[in-house]
Amino acid sequence: MISEGKEGIKLYMEERDTILIVDDVLINRELLKDIFEEGEYKILEASNGEEAIELLDEHTDEIALVFLDLVMPKKNGLEVMHHMSLNNIIKIIPVIMITGEATVESDVKAYELGAADIIYKPFEPAVVIRRAKNIIELYQHRISIENELALRTQELYESKRQIEQSNIFLTNALSSVVEFRSLESGEHIQRVKKLTEIMLRHWRALFGEEQFTDEQIELIVNASALHDIGKIAIPDSILLKPEKLTDEEYEEMKKHTIYGCLMLEKFKQEENEFYRYCYDICRYHHERYDGKGYPDGLVGDDIPIWAQIVSIVDVYDALINKRVYKESFSVDETYQMIHDGKCGKFNPKLLECFDDAKEDFVASMLDKS
Amino acid sequence: MIEEFYKKINGNYEEAISRMKNDERIIKFLKFFLMDESYKQLEQAIDNGSCDDAFRGAHTLKGVCKNMAFTELSLVVERITEELRAKEFEKAKTTFPKVSEEYKKVIEEINKIV
Repeated sequence: MISEGKEGIKLYMEERDTILIVDDVLINRELLKDIFEEGEYKILEASNGEEAIELLDEHTDEIALVFLDLVMPKKNGLEVMHHMSLNNIIKIIPVIMITGEATVESDVKAYELGAADIIYKPFEPAVVIRRAKNIIELYQHRISIENELALRTQELYESKRQIEQSNIFLTNALSSVVEFRSLESGEHIQRVKKLTEIMLRHWRALFGEEQFTDEQIELIVNASALHDIGKIAIPDSILLKPEKLTDEEYEEMKKHTIYGCLMLEKFKQEENEFYRYCYDICRYHHERYDGKGYPDGLVGDDIPIWAQIVSIVDVYDALINKRVYKESFSVDETYQMIHDGKCGKFNPKLLECFDDAKEDFVASMLDKS
Repeated sequence: MIEEFYKKINGNYEEAISRMKNDERIIKFLKFFLMDESYKQLEQAIDNGSCDDAFRGAHTLKGVCKNMAFTELSLVVERITEELRAKEFEKAKTTFPKVSEEYKKVIEEINKIV
């Protein structure tokens, strides 16, 4: 599950006094434990990835450093890192990878996922201690600077928050106009927002931290609420028609993507990031990766990734829920249909992210009911 | 006594002491070594013909041997690990008897001490 972000996690390193050692081999764990015998740190041990994840969840606020083996039964080291990445604790709790030898692929992957350092077997006690202390200090230092910065920007943040709140209110109000008119969408927009957020967090965890900041994710999630805003301009006779649309009617329906943009352009004040997300999502959320979507027939990554994410989420939510013209499908059926290209072709990386997010999608549905 | 042991098995006593600090500790770790399952895993996988499992076993055993400063054994385990990593299973099968011989020598010597 995804955590609410950094706010809920204790940032002060001084209170962190525990080292977590994760290795499936007793000898390796004992050796590391002996290295830190002076009693400066408490030691926790895990002999596989699953145990490690449990301990990390249980002792999030106490762990100062993790030593992590790569090759292990029941979830390996990379899966533990992936979990830490998803929970946003990889920037707070440093990870030192333990490995038998330097292979370029595993080293690069470990650093990409956010490992702070790598040590190789056999262990050199003096080196291990020095590195561990350096890294704990480094993280402590960085976090205390970040804390100070956070304090100073608190006021700024508060006023920004208020503006954001009214932004959210306005986008919700605007999008609910469409909901009101259309009989079937119901809570569709709230679900699209939730699923978009889940996808963005998984995207970030899978394809690198640099992709989206927390702030950008928030903006995109809010922008996703407006994806169907152009439907306001579609006549009732088409929008609310329970039977299958004629070709002509369908062509008109497709124009909701363009109508949405025309509306946005009218109350656009200046070019900014939020406007850009709203515009792209309104216009491109029916484009498909192979160029067979509408309105512009864009191909591949010419479609902005935020629009690609909203489009897969929109399709998923439409399939999983009952509509006037169809029954609902199960999660597995929906996944199969989307993978089979029944609703158009999607970016392979997007599908990978979609698979990764499955568990959270299911959990978010349970939350609602 | 421990220094003698390391000489017999062509290990590196100085390195072992630097890591484990004293003979008492080394004995504790020698006992752990007797309990370690990675050799068994390698042996079984070689018998079953499972290259991936054999690689995992060898890889783990290699790390352990290096940490214990069993120089001679870790060299031959390193060799079989690399062969298995490259999926050269037939080659690894011909290397295995050497691993086995060195491993048993080490075990035998440990048993004399603990």
